[in-house]
Amino acid sequence: MIKFENVNFKYARSKDASLNNVSLKIKKGETVLICGESGCGKTTLVRMINGLIPHYYEGEMSGKVYLNGEETSKRMLYETAKTVGSVFQNPKSQFFCVDSRSELAFGPENMGINEEEILKRIDKTVSSMNINSLMDRNIFAMSGGEKQKIACASVDTLSPKVCVLDEPSSNLSLEAIEDLKETLLMWKKEGKTIIVSEHRLYWLKDICDRVICLNNGEIIFDMPMKKFKNLPDLKLREYGLRSVNENLSMTPLKSDLNNKDYITFENFNYSYKNFDVLHIDKLEIPRNEVIAIVGPNGAGKSTFSKCICGLMKGFKGTAHIGGKKYKGKKLLQKSYMVMQDVNHQLFCETVLDEITLGMDELNEKKITNILNKLGLKSLSKRHPMSLSGGQKQRVAVASALLCDKEIILFDEPTSGLDFYNMEKVANLIGLLRGKKTVFIVTHDPDLIRRCATVVLHLEKGHIVNSNIIGVRKEYEKEEEEYYGAAVSLCRQS
Amino acid sequence: MDGVTNQRKSEEKLGGKDLINIGIYAAIYCVIMTSISMLGFIPIMMPMLAVLCPLIGGITMMLFYTKVKKFGMITIITVIIGAFLWITGMGYWPFIFGIVCGSVADLVAKSGNYLSKKKTVLSHGIMNITIFGCFLPLYLDINGYFATRTSFGSEYVKALSDIFKPWTAPIILLCSFIFGIFGALLGMSFLKKHFEKAGIV
Amino acid sequence: MDDSNNPAKNNRGLYLDPRTKILFLITITTFALGGAGGRRVEMLAPVLCMVPFLLLITAKRFKTALVGIILLFASSILLEFANKINMSGLLYYLVLGSFGILSRFLPCIMMGRYLMESTTVSEFNAAMKKLHISDKVIIPLSVMFRFFPTVMDEAESIGWAMKMRGISLGGKHASKIIEYRMVPFMTCCVNIGEELSAAALTRGLGGEVKRTNICKIGFRLQDYFSVALCLIPWILLIMDVVK
Repeated sequence: MIKFENVNFKYARSKDASLNNVSLKIKKGETVLICGESGCGKTTLVRMINGLIPHYYEGEMSGKVYLNGEETSKRMLYETAKTVGSVFQNPKSQFFCVDSRSELAFGPENMGINEEEILKRIDKTVSSMNINSLMDRNIFAMSGGEKQKIACASVDTLSPKVCVLDEPSSNLSLEAIEDLKETLLMWKKEGKTIIVSEHRLYWLKDICDRVICLNNGEIIFDMPMKKFKNLPDLKLREYGLRSVNENLSMTPLKSDLNNKDYITFENFNYSYKNFDVLHIDKLEIPRNEVIAIVGPNGAGKSTFSKCICGLMKGFKGTAHIGGKKYKGKKLLQKSYMVMQDVNHQLFCETVLDEITLGMDELNEKKITNILNKLGLKSLSKRHPMSLSGGQKQRVAVASALLCDKEIILFDEPTSGLDFYNMEKVANLIGLLRGKKTVFIVTHDPDLIRRCATVVLHLEKGHIVNSNIIGVRKEYEKEEEEYYGAAVSLCRQS
Repeated sequence: MDGVTNQRKSEEKLGGKDLINIGIYAAIYCVIMTSISMLGFIPIMMPMLAVLCPLIGGITMMLFYTKVKKFGMITIITVIIGAFLWITGMGYWPFIFGIVCGSVADLVAKSGNYLSKKKTVLSHGIMNITIFGCFLPLYLDINGYFATRTSFGSEYVKALSDIFKPWTAPIILLCSFIFGIFGALLGMSFLKKHFEKAGIV
Repeated sequence: MDDSNNPAKNNRGLYLDPRTKILFLITITTFALGGAGGRRVEMLAPVLCMVPFLLLITAKRFKTALVGIILLFASSILLEFANKINMSGLLYYLVLGSFGILSRFLPCIMMGRYLMESTTVSEFNAAMKKLHISDKVIIPLSVMFRFFPTVMDEAESIGWAMKMRGISLGGKHASKIIEYRMVPFMTCCVNIGEELSAAALTRGLGGEVKRTNICKIGFRLQDYFSVALCLIPWILLIMDVVK
């Protein structure tokens, strides 16, 4: 079905090759997992299958990619689109329409299929994927999981023989991943060839039969899932992979700080159009700890975090920090959010300008100290936008530290990250522990187990469960194992 | 734009990618323009629109120009912007101007193969004459214009008619052109200073 | 974005062909807001101004319509009053200038909003196709339709980020405020745009076959009536020009 012959590729504006001499064959009906650390060439490989390389992304390519016996570079993109359906990572950018029915019809309409046939196909997809409740709704008002369902459904209406998914679970909660899993199993039953590139591996172990791992643009192994499942975690770390048998429990670390200092949030109520989005009357949180906020998509997590940062208009809640009462604008000065898309908060020309932007007076010593601590010293003259995702995140944290913020909030800091980078974020947050109160909005159990000391579970705007005193069990051992592996790997990266 | 090895599509026809790019940049431009226009109710600021729109819009447009490789893209975006000005209440003149200025601007840029910096700057200047279309009705029939605008209040009208004396027409026209050029230069400096490093050019 | 922008079928009210809605929008902006046609059309302007509110009422958006009507009347009464007593000075500019703008723009904004809320992208495409507009214009327009909310979202997020960093017009960074706003704004929008067009292309946009459309649109009685209403000021305008 798909054949790569000695494929090399280098993006137009990058120095290093993204794929190096890759040859592989994928048979019809196979389900393949492509994994590897960030920047290993997974996405490039996927883009070659759906034809975006070389037709959309420019660069130097050699070698041949065959799809169904035809070379993709010789087929126009819209012809390839008939055979290959693609689901992407970012729910913000993969829709062309505003309402779900138009979206489902969009692909077949482009193919010039007649109207009755399209309607028939939509009905079929809707019933087989069980998405009747999502029809004729505004996609922008849907949760991440629902959006991803629509993305899958709109691929399904084209009934392609091959489906490629590029990190489809990055923005999803654990519950939504289960839904996605069902869709993939359905496609598998229909005999489609499925190629998934992913960082989170656990949910694919019952779906994929074959695992291909890339590193620096080269295939380092290609084995059946049966064998891959039994690889020890330590081995996986070597390749920068997350666990296949991921522990999904969200147990926090036991706090070793002995503080009796609390931050009290009061009257954290926010309603939107007579609909309670957030309803927390009083909440006490130990100061200078790391608090994870979890819950399904649409539980009010992001409203809660915006309220903490004082960004919600007409929000009346207060926070008591260290005996003082903060509210509205004052809260805004005390807290800082590291956004999911860090690009939103990088304004300046150099990293140094960026982190000193909010400072009242320049304090050389403090700046150098923080630059060193966050490993940004050598980057201080670079343009913030030219850095990698993780580095951008650290720049944002540095600027929050220099502004003397009391509360730092991370909005899904690890979505779409591989093991190393997730570990790096965990270490970064660990650095802040004991000095600042850190909130993390996340779906990532791995991250929580590594750095959070309190877990707040939000559902429908209420706190349903808070685990303030962490329990450390046999997982303590597991953690040591992770860190050991990470240390030994630091040399490589 | 070097190192492009894969250009086998029919060179002249606008592809899906080009059309989507037009839509995206038009949306960004219109949002910027609308937020600038909010200043328009302070009488002094109204002619300033002919300065600010080309200047700040230049940042967006220069990014757009880096994506332009075929004839038609600049024309279409200018017509769309003209139409947008029309439905947001600037009268139909910007639309007519959009068609004319857009195609001229496109031809100018094409004569430099969409690569020449000088031609790009000139083309952006011409394109921004569209903005002058918003002011044209004021000069064509200043009394008629204000006859229907008495609800704005006599002071506002007086302030406006003080500003829009007939001899100012060429100045506004020139303004939109010159600031279009400045806008292009500003946009180019932004490209170099930020966007190239951010990897979005 | 919120639920109110949901073009779901159940609350769309009186069904109008998208072409009629576009004609309404253009007519209202040209005559009520742009003031074309002079005195003769002025009589019709209030009628045209009421159209969007009526449409909103049929769509069961009573609250929006009511607030709109009250604002419209209040501002025009206020303006009349202020003109009568010949108020002047800075206060006059600030308060009444904005009310003047409000009463002018409100009908157009409401009409635009109604158009956006009650029309799906594919209906819009179908309407444009029936008007024999080329795909080269329809595709960019539908992308715009889709991209506006995203652009607004991005601008809002950047506004938040600036607030958290204490960058504001009043602060010490005022001189660079345009740069600070534009750089992240453009970067984010362009990145999303790139991904959007990649996604659209993998779903076959830009092929050589003729696009089809599942939307069935057509003129009904109410459309003919509306078109007739819209044509009056245009005929008057043309008569004026010819004369």
